[in-house]
Amino acid sequence: MSTFLSARAMQRRSFFRVAGATLATSTLVLAGCKDDEEPVTPVASNVLRLGVVTSASGAETVTQESQENGVLNYAYLLEQLEAAFYTQVVAAPPADLLSDELAYLTDLRDHELIHREYLKAALGASVYDASLSTPLKFNFSSFTLTTRVGVWTAAQQLEDIGVAAYNGAGKLLTVTTNLLALGKIASVEARHAALVHEVLQSDSFASTIGADGLDDAKTPTEVIELIKTLLPIEVSVAALPTA
Amino acid sequence: MNLFQIISELEKVDPEIMDRLTHRRSAFTALGNFGKKLALAAAPIAIGSAFNKAVGQNTLMGVNEVFNYALLLERLEYSFYDQALKAATLTVPLTGIARTAIETIRGHEQAHVALLTAALGTNANPAPANGFDFGNAFATYESFLIFAQAFEDTGVRAYKGQAGNIDASLNPTIGGAQYNLLQTALQIHSVEARHAAHIRVMRRGATAGNQTNIFPWIINAEPNGVPAGVYGAGNPVATFPTEGNLVQGGLTLTSVGGKTYTAEDVSAAFDEALDSTTVTNIARSVVKF
Repeated sequence: MSTFLSARAMQRRSFFRVAGATLATSTLVLAGCKDDEEPVTPVASNVLRLGVVTSASGAETVTQESQENGVLNYAYLLEQLEAAFYTQVVAAPPADLLSDELAYLTDLRDHELIHREYLKAALGASVYDASLSTPLKFNFSSFTLTTRVGVWTAAQQLEDIGVAAYNGAGKLLTVTTNLLALGKIASVEARHAALVHEVLQSDSFASTIGADGLDDAKTPTEVIELIKTLLPIEVSVAALPTA
Repeated sequence: MNLFQIISELEKVDPEIMDRLTHRRSAFTALGNFGKKLALAAAPIAIGSAFNKAVGQNTLMGVNEVFNYALLLERLEYSFYDQALKAATLTVPLTGIARTAIETIRGHEQAHVALLTAALGTNANPAPANGFDFGNAFATYESFLIFAQAFEDTGVRAYKGQAGNIDASLNPTIGGAQYNLLQTALQIHSVEARHAAHIRVMRRGATAGNQTNIFPWIINAEPNGVPAGVYGAGNPVATFPTEGNLVQGGLTLTSVGGKTYTAEDVSAAFDEALDSTTVTNIARSVVKF
């Protein structure tokens, strides 16, 4: 906790300038702090703006490149979230978890870690947390992670959100290789989702699919709304393209 | 090898193939020269070569071609599940939740056919006149699931391979609702991936022989009994590597971010795309249509 705070504080200035995103923070607030009596609500000044480039003078602009990187940073945020979730679960699995289920969760953790590291490396200097020495800390206190049903229910929510997020974000990309790269990850998330549904209930692999045969798709705004309680900061996707 | 028949078969898949060749005579000459040099077994390569020339680097041009190609694959999948559910050989093993799952998947494929047909309107190609012949696919529950895995995993690769060819600004109104065509293709893509994962889970079950080395994701391009091409490379290889690929965006992901990951995990973490020619060749290696 204190390490994270000081790392954030020391690198605030350079972090502020990262292309593709800014985290404008004068007050650092973390959710999930042990000493806190109540859940911490992100403050308005603690905002990650995906798709915005901030100049040295503090002026914000949205360029085509920053929009593209904004979508990739959005995917990176989601992969960080999933990786952090499975890492936490595998480190402290619920007592009633079955042995083959732990093997599955370990595979899921590794896939998400690989996705996270790939996107981080692909974004290079444009990654929104490039100057942070420690990754964002996510807040999973709204999940019940002490039972196998709680763990798999949380996993199902995250995987379904991930699939819907990729389905909704593809059309926002203008670089074909980026679309292909996210597509390679998107179908693996769908495989994860199908398995996670199966673990909880037989034949529920298709419960997100509508009568038109289409899987769910959500806009970045809808996705951020769904995951905001898990995030230690407020994320703004207002600068991302919408169509 | 009957070259005229092959051309005729190709025209059934893609009626405009001849329009894209400089003219019909040169196509026959090209195939003829290949035919003299190659054994019959190599025929698919010759066909692929002519097809590549016709469609230009395995890229389908224009949204109608992309969606007609998708329509053919969806018709194939729908027909496959429909025939399976009606096959007498599968009446006993394909029961309970297994049957429910296959009925659900058939319903999705039917919805995809309906949606793509409506999207194409008068541009929709007709269904193959003689339907689809899956040979001995329905002989056993196990062989049925092997075919299903092949079709679903190939379907995922096929949609992924076309995403870049669909203009993201196309928003037609179909049946009173507006669709973004690229997003629609991605929404079908993830459905096929859910199907693929579920079929793979079904193969782990006792009725299918407890094949617990098969996972919902594709590890190291392991064929699991399906034709090897399903997980092989497409053309060009640089764009369409095998499912065992460990390099994304120039990064070898077995060692990244200061940690190492197994080839199993890295290959499974990414699904690869395939070009239309390779997909068509795979389909034609197991289905007559």
